[in-house]
Amino acid sequence: MLSPVIEVEALTKEYRSRAAVSDLTVTVHPGRVTGFLGPNGSGKTTTMRCVLGLTRPTSGTTRVLGRPYRDLAHPMRRVGALVDPRARHPGRSAYAHLLALARSNALPASRVDDVIELVGLESVAHDRVGGFSLGMGQRLGIAAALLGDPDVLLLDEPVNGLDPEGIRWMRELLRDLADEGRTVLVSSHLMSEMEDTADHLVVLGRGRLLADVPMSDLLGAHSAVRVRSPQAPLLAAALQRAGAAIELQIDGSLRVEGLDTDQVGDVAFLSGVRVHELTQVTASLEAAYLALTGDDVEYRAAAR
Amino acid sequence: MRGVPFSAVVGSEWTKLWSVRSTWWATGVFVLVVGAVGALAAASTDTADRPEVAVQTALIGFGFGQLALLVVGLLTVTAEFASGSAVSTLTAVPRRTRLLLAKTVVVVVWCLLLAVVLAALCFLAARTLTAVPGGVPPTDPAVLRTLGLQAGAAALVGVLGIALGTVLRSTAGAVMVGTALVLVLPPVLALSGPRWAERLAQALPMVRVGQDAFFSVPTSWPVGMAVVAAWAVGAWVLGAVLHERRDV
Repeated sequence: MLSPVIEVEALTKEYRSRAAVSDLTVTVHPGRVTGFLGPNGSGKTTTMRCVLGLTRPTSGTTRVLGRPYRDLAHPMRRVGALVDPRARHPGRSAYAHLLALARSNALPASRVDDVIELVGLESVAHDRVGGFSLGMGQRLGIAAALLGDPDVLLLDEPVNGLDPEGIRWMRELLRDLADEGRTVLVSSHLMSEMEDTADHLVVLGRGRLLADVPMSDLLGAHSAVRVRSPQAPLLAAALQRAGAAIELQIDGSLRVEGLDTDQVGDVAFLSGVRVHELTQVTASLEAAYLALTGDDVEYRAAAR
Repeated sequence: MRGVPFSAVVGSEWTKLWSVRSTWWATGVFVLVVGAVGALAAASTDTADRPEVAVQTALIGFGFGQLALLVVGLLTVTAEFASGSAVSTLTAVPRRTRLLLAKTVVVVVWCLLLAVVLAALCFLAARTLTAVPGGVPPTDPAVLRTLGLQAGAAALVGVLGIALGTVLRSTAGAVMVGTALVLVLPPVLALSGPRWAERLAQALPMVRVGQDAFFSVPTSWPVGMAVVAAWAVGAWVLGAVLHERRDV
């Protein structure tokens, strides 16, 4: 595996008495999309802000490409960041906003036109950004992040406010960027979005690391086989003897954990049980995520 | 690899300055107030004993107009925090004192440019509208000093604006504190009477018109300019230290 590009070591950030991030150690690697997942208030944004040098950690260190963010010679050429879609002066045009950013890192003005075209904002480039919708704001934020053609991308909730077409566009963009060997860290509280985008997941809950795993592992750990049979009780008994955990579903089918489809099929054949349906059920990331974060939600609606 | 040159950061701040309307509004107010008041003051002053007195009378609009430069300066910082654009800016330029220096260069140049142009116009008004024995020669050292001090005072007010904006991070707060320091407190203290209040007024960064304190306790121009410069630089350094330490 390539060496880590983003390193967070024993990071703690406290606001007054509340710890936003507690002793977080995690690394992010190039060439894949890393999903940064967690409920609201779990510390995703705080961690990203610390990595970008916007927020001072209470303790611990963060490094990008081997050094603190502030020490990067050309920050925008190395790292593209989207932290807050409202992070711009409402009275400035999209073009002027990007031009000022480009100039600050000695990037050619032609890059501004390039990224405006890339995100599809040509028609509104000279309008004041105060009138932009959230989705247009996100596109402008992405344009700013891509200005320096950076090796590393840190995007906080980039699909927030995008329409379905925009979400698909974003997904493909992130995929392409990762395939080019760049490091992509994307935060989201939308599990369904991550499921289609990320290769690797870092899950936070209440500022602590809950999981740092490949997407397939997390999904695999919570996947099962669905089998439907007119002789369900017989089959269930046979499967249990084979070591599986069985759960009877409301539609009469069985949910089998601990065996794959081949094994379930073989058990049914050997027991002489007829099978009408045999399906691999991949757990939704949502279910896996809820299983992980169930106890670590900071803000929860009161049970009624 | 060598880093981004400082001139690039200055260029970026220059782009930001001209690309918002507030800059042009404040500049318009400055030009209007200083120009109109200067012309009126010169026109209503028939005669003056010495050329620098005639010029100083025409510069009287600077007394109020400089507030617009204070606002230009503080907005370059507070507008970033009000809108959240400070996040974009500091991600692009993480070396914060360098960023503040670039902002200061841009604001000082802008304030100097405006002040020089307006001071020249005020000089022309005095020269054409006020009768002075021997005329108002542009090469008179006292006249040149008066005009130069005015441009210097305007630049210092811009720096004070940036500094207050950086320390307070709030447009309303910085405008209030800035106006109190340069325009409200000095005359109020001067009028209140006691000796200590007069001393205090002299120690405030009061707005200056040419060589004189505007509506406040007079000080010689070297003392007055030194006080204003000390406040501007002191507040700037405090702002830079806080800027380095604080979260965005």
